[in-house]
Amino acid sequence: MKYSKMELPSRADHLWRYTPWKRIHPTSVEQVPKAIPIRWSLNEGGSLSDGVPDHSMNDDIARIFLSELRSEKVSLSVDGSASIVHLHGVASGHAAAGRLHIDFHQDTTVVIHLSGEADWAGLHITGSVQANVRAGVGFVNELSANTKFLRCEDWIVERDARLELASLSIGGFRCKNDLRTRLNATGSSLKQAISVHGHNQRHVDHHIEIHHNVGHTDSDLHVHAACNDQSHSISTGLLTIAESANQSDASQVFKNLLLSERSRAEAIPELEVLADDVSANHGAASSPVDPDQIHYLMSRGLGLEEATALIIEGFMQDGFSMLKSKELIDEIRTRLTVHLECELKR
Amino acid sequence: MAKVSEILRIENLHVSVEGTAIIKGLSLTINQGEIHVIMGRNGAGKSTLASVIMGHPAYEITEGEIHYLSQPLEQLSVFERARAGMFLSFQYPVVIPGVQVGTFLKKSVQSVRDEPIKGRAFRKELNDAMSTLDMDKTVLSRYVNDGFSGGEKKRLEILQMLMLNPKLALLDETDSGLDIDALRIVAKGINQVVPQAGCLIITHYQRLLDHVKPDYVHVMIDGQILLTGGPELAHKLEDKGYDWIDVTPEA
Repeated sequence: MKYSKMELPSRADHLWRYTPWKRIHPTSVEQVPKAIPIRWSLNEGGSLSDGVPDHSMNDDIARIFLSELRSEKVSLSVDGSASIVHLHGVASGHAAAGRLHIDFHQDTTVVIHLSGEADWAGLHITGSVQANVRAGVGFVNELSANTKFLRCEDWIVERDARLELASLSIGGFRCKNDLRTRLNATGSSLKQAISVHGHNQRHVDHHIEIHHNVGHTDSDLHVHAACNDQSHSISTGLLTIAESANQSDASQVFKNLLLSERSRAEAIPELEVLADDVSANHGAASSPVDPDQIHYLMSRGLGLEEATALIIEGFMQDGFSMLKSKELIDEIRTRLTVHLECELKR
Repeated sequence: MAKVSEILRIENLHVSVEGTAIIKGLSLTINQGEIHVIMGRNGAGKSTLASVIMGHPAYEITEGEIHYLSQPLEQLSVFERARAGMFLSFQYPVVIPGVQVGTFLKKSVQSVRDEPIKGRAFRKELNDAMSTLDMDKTVLSRYVNDGFSGGEKKRLEILQMLMLNPKLALLDETDSGLDIDALRIVAKGINQVVPQAGCLIITHYQRLLDHVKPDYVHVMIDGQILLTGGPELAHKLEDKGYDWIDVTPEA
């Protein structure tokens, strides 16, 4: 299917209700602009090679569009010499695009940092976690405050493997994230944590799909969004449990912290459970900062701004608490602390 | 003229919350090194008194004055009171998700002392305080009060008190829910702070007073202190309850 032949999605579509395709497209919707490839660099612990395997699991408009942009297709191979691998991507120019693939054959943590001043950036990441492997992937969106960003991810988790995904969204102006994981074999497990800091007029849309295709699989999703100023966070989840996927265990929690009168946050979990013998639960909550928490911290000598900043930081850090990988948690938390120290001017 | 050792002086205090009078003419003076205990039925206004001294915004002082270190308290916000040396151990300590105890303690101590903390000296001080309270160091990496048992929460309150070294310690039912061993440890913490501080303990039970020797025991009923005595009054209340005070209030 070519992008030019595709019908544009309507706002009736769950996926495009809050961020219509035309608002995340870099130019006018009928065009596929020339893009500058995202420049990647790696510190240690692996190597980058040209080309990616065919990983076409989805044929939606965003993925087709990203595949038609001029971007370098890059695969990351991890050699096991470092416990954590940092991959830095820089997006520049009017439109920047990247295509990245990672196959995990051994226990490793990779943290992807995406920065740059591009007006628009698009990135498609695919990957798999091979049987019995523990993999961690951190993604830090550190793009410029004026960048529009489209990101798609597709992950496959194999038998008895565990994938931990940690995503920190602190950059970009309008961001659409479509993150999908398939638990394809018995014993596969996903822990996914997302923290969003909404400030100024940021618009951050996360669509998270988790598919339990076989039984004895488990997933745990936590999304924490702290929204200030006139920012807007949207989190839509789609959890599917196939008819044969008995003994699956799935949980989704969405929490929003509203820090100003004009900030907005939506959390819409959606479940499609076809199996009988499963555990599936979801919850969503939005609230302002708890005045009792403020009072408690102020009674310990912290001023109002400092107390509020600490609560925001704690709220966002807490999203990552359920991850098992200490390296991944530490990396993401350190980056978050630095961001908040700058942003909240403590 | 105020005595040098005067920590807190409350004169004819009246307090309301959302238009309802809770405290109705209460006077009390606490000097350095003194332990005052307030006992009374549920709803008598004991916790309100502690909260209003600490400056909780929900409470309105409609009449009377509170002086701390001979200065009126009214103009000081909550954090300014804390920085001036006031400490409230909460009856129900609040959970702060995602904020590690170690980080919180450091920020708190730094704020109250208003000076940079030297890492090694701070760690030694913290280790000593935790050792006094028989606390495991793993608590430092846990989130503030998150998943804590009732006893753990109260110990963390006392740990904060030791680290902040207040001039006035307000302890709101710190003994509630503690087993005998925990009670003894918490009492040890209180006794460590008292010589240099004034202390107001709100409690329902006499048993804490086996370990912390009060100078005064006050009975609070319907927003007023109706009776004041020594430690023996707590024993009497334990035996007889409060009904006998209602019929023979002190003038």
